[in-house]
Amino acid sequence: MASVEIENVRKSFGTVGVIHGVSVHIDDGEFVILVGPSGCGKSTLLRMIAGLESIGSGLIRIGDRVVNQLEPKDRDIAMVFQNYALYPQMTVAQNMGFALELKGVKKAEIDAKVNEAAEILGLTSLLKRLPKQLSGGQRQRVAMGRAIVRDPQVFLFDEPLSNLDAKLRVAMRAEIKSLQKRLGTTTIYVTHDQIEAMTMADKIVVLKDGVIEQVGSPLELYDRPANVFVAGFIGSPSMNMLSGTIENDGGARLVLGSGASIPIAKDGGVKPGDKVVFGIRPEHIELDPDNGIEARIEVVEPTGAETHVLAKIGDADVTCVLRERITVREGETIPLAFARGHGHFFAPETGARLAD
Amino acid sequence: MSTTTAPASATVADAGYGSARRRDPVLIGLWISLVLVAVVWIAPFVFIVFTSLKTTGDVMTTGAFTPPATVHYQNYENAWARGDFSTTFTNSVIITFIKVPLGLFISAMAAYALARMRIIWGKLILLIILFGTMIPFQVMLAPIFTVVNSFGLIDTYPGIILPYLAFGVPYQVFILHGFFSVIPRELSEAARIDGASDITIFRRIFLPASIPVLAALLILDFVNTWNEFAMALVILQDAGMWTLPLGLMSFQGQFSNDYGQLNAAIVMTVLPATIVYLIFQRYFVSGLMSGAVKG
Repeated sequence: MASVEIENVRKSFGTVGVIHGVSVHIDDGEFVILVGPSGCGKSTLLRMIAGLESIGSGLIRIGDRVVNQLEPKDRDIAMVFQNYALYPQMTVAQNMGFALELKGVKKAEIDAKVNEAAEILGLTSLLKRLPKQLSGGQRQRVAMGRAIVRDPQVFLFDEPLSNLDAKLRVAMRAEIKSLQKRLGTTTIYVTHDQIEAMTMADKIVVLKDGVIEQVGSPLELYDRPANVFVAGFIGSPSMNMLSGTIENDGGARLVLGSGASIPIAKDGGVKPGDKVVFGIRPEHIELDPDNGIEARIEVVEPTGAETHVLAKIGDADVTCVLRERITVREGETIPLAFARGHGHFFAPETGARLAD
Repeated sequence: MSTTTAPASATVADAGYGSARRRDPVLIGLWISLVLVAVVWIAPFVFIVFTSLKTTGDVMTTGAFTPPATVHYQNYENAWARGDFSTTFTNSVIITFIKVPLGLFISAMAAYALARMRIIWGKLILLIILFGTMIPFQVMLAPIFTVVNSFGLIDTYPGIILPYLAFGVPYQVFILHGFFSVIPRELSEAARIDGASDITIFRRIFLPASIPVLAALLILDFVNTWNEFAMALVILQDAGMWTLPLGLMSFQGQFSNDYGQLNAAIVMTVLPATIVYLIFQRYFVSGLMSGAVKG
C-alpha cells in the first residue's frame, strides 16, 4: 500500500490538451474516485498513473518513487479494465496467476495465491473455466482476482461496472467497496456514474475538460458544491438552477426573469439586488399548501418510493422529488416551497459558489 | 382431458408440417446452382481418379466417367518410379515445410509489430509491404532470376524459398495486421501491466488468439507453395532439384500416351495439398471470416 501524489500533471494529444495541470494527493489506503463527463480526461489520468500513457509534464509519485519513467510492470499497480481484458485462451486460474508466472514465482506459491484470491471472490469453483464460459459479473470478479493476486500498492479501476446490467452493478459496487476496505489497498477508480462515485468513494475528484472542479468527500460535494458544474453533476436528479435577482420584500425572495417571486432563505454571501444562480436540490422542494407558489406540472414520474415531478414556475423548469404519494396529473398546478437553509448561491458569470 | 389433448397435439403437428413445406424458392434455386457448379468442379477429379486406376486398354475402351472394372494400382507404382517422384516429392516437401511455417512466423511478427508497437514510419512500412500484394510475381520472374543468379543460388533451396517468402509475406501481413488490429487494446495493456514484454504478449496472447487465421493462412500458403510452377521452372533447372509440378510437366511430356500413369502422377501431385485442405478447410473459412469482419 502506498500514497499517490499527482503534481501539476499535463497531457496533450498532438495540439489538443486533455489534462491541464492536475494535482491530487491520495492517502495510503484511500478509495478515490475520478468522476466527470465523457472526454474530461479521467481515464487518461488513470492511464498515466498506470504507465499506459506518457506524462506530458508534472510528476506522479507512488509511495516515495517518482514513476514518470517507469514501465507499467515496475509501478507495482494492478488495473481492472471496463471490458475485463481477460486472456481468452487461458483458464480463470491461469489468468489470475499470469503476472506471478511472468515474475518467476514458483507454481505452488502461485496456486496458493490464486486459491486465496478465488476464495475471497467466490471463484473457487470456476478456476478451470475459460473466460467465455463465465457471465459478465464472474468475468469482472476474475479481473479483480487478477489484480488482488499481485498484491499491488495501488488498484486502478477503469469504469469496471459499465458493462454490467443495473442490478449486478449495484451488487458489484458493494462488493468492490467491501473488498477495498478489507484489503486496505489504495484505490483509484474512474467512472462517469456519479452514483457509483457517491456510494463508493472516500474522496471524489470531479474533472471537467482536463481540470479539477472540486475534490472532497461525497457529502462535502453534495452539500457544498464549489460551482454550478459540480452542483449539477453530483446528485440525481440534478440540482435545479434558477437565475434571478435577490430581493428583500417582506423576507428574502428570488425574483426570476419571468417575474415569479419565490421565498428563499438568504445566505450571508448575497444581498438584495444581487443577480445569482440559485441552486436547490429536487428533494429540498416540498409541497406547501399554505405558503407554496403555484407550479404547473409538466411530467410526473412515479418510482414507487418517491415521485419525481417536473414542473414550471413561471418559465423556469424545476424538478422535485416528493416522498409522499400524490395523485396529480400533467397540466395541474401544485403549491411548491423551497426548504429553508438548503439553497446554494452561485455567481452567474463564473458559476463559482458565492461565499456563505 | 384426453379429448382436449388429442386435437391440440394434432394442431401442433400440422403447423410443423406446414412450416416444413414452405421452402424459400430463392434458396432452392441457390442450392441447385451450387450443386451444378460442384458437379462441374468435381467431374475432372472423378475423371482423373477413375483413369488413374484403369489399364491403358480400359482407358481406350471405356467411357471417361465409367468406374474401372478392375482397380489397377500398378499405374501409381510405375508412375512413381518412372517419373522419379521420390526426388521431386522430397524437394517439394523440403521447400514447402520450410517456407510455409517460416513465412507465417515472419508475417505474424511483422503484423504484430506494425499493428501493436509504436514504430517510427510504421504506416509507411505497412504501405510498402502491402504494395507487394499488388505486384503479380510473373512480372518479376526475369528480375528475380537475375538476382538469384547473381547470389549464386540457382538450383538451391534458399534460391527458391527466399523469393517464395518475399511474395508470400505481404498478403499474410495484410490479413494478420487486420486481425491483430481489432484485438482489444486492453488485452495487451493488461499483459504489459502483468509484466509481459512484446515478445511474450505476441507469443502468449496474440498467437493463441489468432490460431484460426493462422490455420487458414497455412492451408492457403501450403496449397500455393506445393502447386507453384512458374518460379520453380525459372529457378530450379537441375532435374535433381525439381518440385512435383515440374516433375509432372516432364512426365507429361515423356508419357503423354499412357493416360493411366499420367493421371496417377497427377493424383499423387495434388493429393497432399488436397488432404491438407480438406483437414483444415473448416478453419480456413472461419479464419478468413474472422480476419475480415471481427470486431
